Amino acid sequence: MKPTIHLKRRHILIRLLLSLTAVIILLPIVITALYSFFSPDEIKAFMDTRSSYDAAQFMEIKLSPNMFSLSQYYKILIEDMTILRYFVNSAMYTGAILLGQALFIPAMAYALSRFRFPGRDALFFVIIMLMLLPFQVTMVPNVITLRAMGLLDTVWSVILPMTVAPFYIFLLRQYMVGLPGDMIEAAQIDGAGTLRCFVHVVMPVCQPILGAAIALSFADCWNLVEQPLTYLTTHTELYPLSVAFNQLTQKSTGVEFAGAALYTLPALFIYLFFQNDILEGVQLTELK
Amino acid sequence: MFEKKKSVLLFLLPGLCMLLIFYIIPFFSGIGYSLMDGSYKNEFVGLKNYREIWQNSMFLLGLKNTMELSLICAPLLWILSFLLASALASIKPFGGFFRSSVLLPYLTPSSAILLVWLVLFDYGGPVNRALAAMGAERVMWLSSGALRLPVVLMFLWKNLGFCLIIFLAALQSVPQPLYEYATLEGAGFMTRAFRITLPLVTPTAFLVFVLAWINAFKIFKEVYFIAGAYPDYSVYTLQNYMNNMFQKLNYQNVTAAAYSFGLIVFAIFGVLFFLQRRAARGLN
Repeated sequence: MKPTIHLKRRHILIRLLLSLTAVIILLPIVITALYSFFSPDEIKAFMDTRSSYDAAQFMEIKLSPNMFSLSQYYKILIEDMTILRYFVNSAMYTGAILLGQALFIPAMAYALSRFRFPGRDALFFVIIMLMLLPFQVTMVPNVITLRAMGLLDTVWSVILPMTVAPFYIFLLRQYMVGLPGDMIEAAQIDGAGTLRCFVHVVMPVCQPILGAAIALSFADCWNLVEQPLTYLTTHTELYPLSVAFNQLTQKSTGVEFAGAALYTLPALFIYLFFQNDILEGVQLTELK
Repeated sequence: MFEKKKSVLLFLLPGLCMLLIFYIIPFFSGIGYSLMDGSYKNEFVGLKNYREIWQNSMFLLGLKNTMELSLICAPLLWILSFLLASALASIKPFGGFFRSSVLLPYLTPSSAILLVWLVLFDYGGPVNRALAAMGAERVMWLSSGALRLPVVLMFLWKNLGFCLIIFLAALQSVPQPLYEYATLEGAGFMTRAFRITLPLVTPTAFLVFVLAWINAFKIFKEVYFIAGAYPDYSVYTLQNYMNNMFQKLNYQNVTAAAYSFGLIVFAIFGVLFFLQRRAARGLN
């Protein structure tokens, strides 16, 4: 019986180690949530003790508020809606990009995985190359194209290029390649046309990878940095929160933690909702 | 399994048009820009822009930093996610709490979490307090060469989960009896991870390494959040250089720098791909 006992002990050790890692990983999020319930004055006083290079002094380590307070939330949601306005911008970008991606990407991935046409493999190769390239390679020509189309400095300049992000074409194509061909043939024998087949047979079985792609793409959109900085040069009021938040909190206003918590909340919901899809989608995809 | 039909155009064309307008055509016209002189006459100057940036000290500094940072980040991320995934796979069916918390940072907006980083790594913050308690000198994390540590940690924190779940997916296909046998033979955790698991999941390991590296090349985001557009020289990345040149409307310089970087990226992944092919053949 000795090996089993030994194994059990190791299990406990590994579980302890993993739990510890999980706590460290969650800590920044928990601190943000906790600090959002401090009163604005307390946060402001606390944040203003930063950047003091007095060797004798440390910042306080605050683990509980002097007084539990919702006034940070009251301030950002009702009194001064600056953060809320940028939050709405972010939501608008994310919604529009995801919608565009839903229109273009599954169809394209399906074409690349199920049909034979000249140049298919070359196109797939190009998509992989584009996936590897840093954003800056196509930045300047894009600015010139967008300016010629009159879209520079409008929300479209951020939205349109993102709607065909190469990584998601790759991800969905790899998943669809692994789908059993019989299923689609059976549907066709039953008289379903190509489009019907796509909408009613292929899309439903792709549900895990679609969920995963939505969640991962949401993470990208909710975190946009390079694109707005490049394409929105004069209309800074169009910035998403990802860029604006940083600038708004350079100097402490006392409400930044509630802002951060508000900003994180949708990500949390999306994550909880699509968590299983992500695990399942990644597991079933030919990622080789 | 492949069909040949006219209706493929219906699926392909909308996306392909967008891809052409915003990715493929710009990619090629960008090569043109990098060979022009950018004045109002816009003459063809050959490789002059390339020669210029390869002599520019800020470009070289940015390139060096981007390479160094990605060489620190990608292998670290790869090995950490592999070890944690192995540990997690070995205690199935437990570990649900860990599995669900590890991916959360990937979705969390960095700029929101930045605040915590700024407090943690402040000169008077908890990290320095711990250092002082252990009798070490305090470090100016946010305004000196030490800035690399918070940047790298933020990168790891954010990307660990994604790499880990890809590994985890591959590990589920490794037959369990193999481990039991190895354990009976006295193989420890590390031996099992590196001698049994890793060879069996080589293609996935390769993929994770490539993804980790792609993301490490984009480390600019973390740098920009923590230190702004003009950070300390130790974390001044190539993207900082290109963005700053872009703000100065020096488009020729930006494109020449971008294509130089792009070529290096392709070369690296080309070599990696070649090595992986060889390794796969060697295993068979």
